[in-house]
Amino acid sequence: MHESRKIRVLVAKIGCDIHERGALTLLYTFRDAGMEAIYTGRYQTPEAVANAAVDEDVDVIALSDHTGSMPIIASAVLEALRNRNATDIHVMAGGLISPEDAKVLNEMGVSGNYGPGTPPDLIVEHVKRLVKKATA
Amino acid sequence: MGEKTVLLDRKFGHMVRTATQSHIELKSYYTPEDCKEISYETDLGDPGEYPFTRGLYPEMYRDRLWLKSFIVSYSTPEDTNAAFKQYIAHGMTDLRLLADLPTQSGIDPDHPFAWNSMMCGGVATYALHVYEKMLEGLPLENVVYELAHSGISNFIYFYSLLVALMENRGLDIAQLRGNSINDPVRAKLVYGSPDFPTHIDRRICLDHIEYSVRNTPKWRPFAPNGVDPCQGGMDAVRELGGCLAVATTICLDLIERGISIDDYGAMVFSLDAESDFFETIAKFRAARRMWARIAREKLGARTRNAMQLKIGIRTSGLSLQNQKPLNNTARVTLQILSCILGGVNSLDASSIDEAIGLPSYEARVFNLDTQHIITHEANVPLVADPLGGSYYLEWLTSRLENEVNRYLDEVEARGGIFECLESGWLKDLMEANRLRVQRERAKGKRLIVGVNAFQGEGEEGRINQAIRDVAYKAPSVVLREQKVREVKEFKQNRNQEALKRSLKEIYRATKEGRNVTRPIIEAVKTGATLGEVTGVIRLSYGIPYDPFEQIDMPPFVRQLVRECD
Repeated sequence: MHESRKIRVLVAKIGCDIHERGALTLLYTFRDAGMEAIYTGRYQTPEAVANAAVDEDVDVIALSDHTGSMPIIASAVLEALRNRNATDIHVMAGGLISPEDAKVLNEMGVSGNYGPGTPPDLIVEHVKRLVKKATA
Repeated sequence: MGEKTVLLDRKFGHMVRTATQSHIELKSYYTPEDCKEISYETDLGDPGEYPFTRGLYPEMYRDRLWLKSFIVSYSTPEDTNAAFKQYIAHGMTDLRLLADLPTQSGIDPDHPFAWNSMMCGGVATYALHVYEKMLEGLPLENVVYELAHSGISNFIYFYSLLVALMENRGLDIAQLRGNSINDPVRAKLVYGSPDFPTHIDRRICLDHIEYSVRNTPKWRPFAPNGVDPCQGGMDAVRELGGCLAVATTICLDLIERGISIDDYGAMVFSLDAESDFFETIAKFRAARRMWARIAREKLGARTRNAMQLKIGIRTSGLSLQNQKPLNNTARVTLQILSCILGGVNSLDASSIDEAIGLPSYEARVFNLDTQHIITHEANVPLVADPLGGSYYLEWLTSRLENEVNRYLDEVEARGGIFECLESGWLKDLMEANRLRVQRERAKGKRLIVGVNAFQGEGEEGRINQAIRDVAYKAPSVVLREQKVREVKEFKQNRNQEALKRSLKEIYRATKEGRNVTRPIIEAVKTGATLGEVTGVIRLSYGIPYDPFEQIDMPPFVRQLVRECD
């Protein structure tokens, strides 16, 4: 039964960042790749994103941010997931992420950390790998 | 040894498209036959002559160069102030103001929603004293300022800050120059600005315009924006069509308030300089021609000024790439050149490091220097509309005009631009074109150098690395904590009585349908913050104080509302 389940991804934006194009591009990239992808819309809180991820039973949260604040945002999401006992949900990130921030994020357990213009296939492969590793 | 022979492919890097960026199919050349419907007298005219296709002035750039502009907006007022002064020393002539992202949404830094984006993309300009610091030592009279924010609450508030600053310094507010974007369609369509719903946006937009026309005649309080819809996915036709539709609608609203197009004067559009070189130039020429015709034929303009469209530019940030950022110098240079060939009035060029972070100082000086090189070494601006008469460009300009007219008819048939916004039709259009472009890129029908083509091999070299290293970084948690403390302290140390009185006046004016601008100017002098002004306007419309419905209104606001009702 597990085999037939489509990969479920929540594309999320937190705070007042208005740059939405990356998130939308990702949303359709995931859908085109046969995944169930949901988008939170802008102006979300970390708690609301964690709740939506649990309620929608997603495998992966894909955070998008173009303010340079990803470490702050991602650590809040991880905490919200811990509070909901949902640490099995993978968190990945993309947007404007400096090499230093990418290092910090990787150490936190946030993967991907892709910049703008990353080939969509690469991101899709990354999601598949994350989910496969977890179910293996 | 096994030396391999290098394979040479004659077709390597060959063209993959026959259409412009906005899907206008092209022939391989154009002739007088393609332009036989175009009349020099009625469709082009000399530069400075109706319909201004070839530019607004006969002397064009010999008389006045385009304004060189940047949005300067770093995390702190001090950094921003220092940067303004540096760029002015390098030839910047037009100062674009912005704020951090929470401010643009209509909330203060002590709002719980602000934390994750605080001081990102700009200063948290929550009250008058922050503006004082940010603009310290900069002249306020006869300097061009532009307000480039997203939410409609921001334009009336920051305009009020500029007026209040001038009044506090004893200056004549009639000498305030510049413009506000103040475009209620763009605010919702692109940003989903949470500060006000659309019907309040439209009223506040008009209040700002009306007050400005009567009190600060050199300020252009409205500059429909095509840049952001275009960056959000609209093509050139819908970008220009959207600006024309919203400008026409707002001008008709103004006529109802007793302000004719001749009272209003010249229109300003904020348009996008995109990657497609000729399409961009044609778009600027078509924009001037179309606005002149609409102003005269539809809005009854009689003065020359009222038929003129000034074009302010932001070059496409979206076209700039994170991969091999050095290549962005070529993109920016071509976009700047298209603006000058298109006869624009003010130009804000994106920075080569913009896909990495906020623009660095050196990258911006490069932008200014590029404009100086185009002027003084390449001699491009010596002659107005130097491409006028090109079969291809004239055909493309007319073709764009026809397509835009078709789009305008469709918008009209659907009940007008605001109805198209509210019904979601505009959003669907933007989304559909965005997706079409995304899929073309995925299929290799649209090549972006370094991204989906010509990636090159191996590690990034030192020049590209260096561009990556200098980009400006976001503020730390410590700085954000300090900001929240600062705001809380500021709010406690105001004259509560004066503040309450002034906010009451905003509440009443909003409710009674009077213009809210003067009450806001008075309120900011008592320390009213953006979040409070926005909240009080919302309350007088009977909607919750907080756009995000996360916080309660402060007790003194609750009290003042009770006293008013």
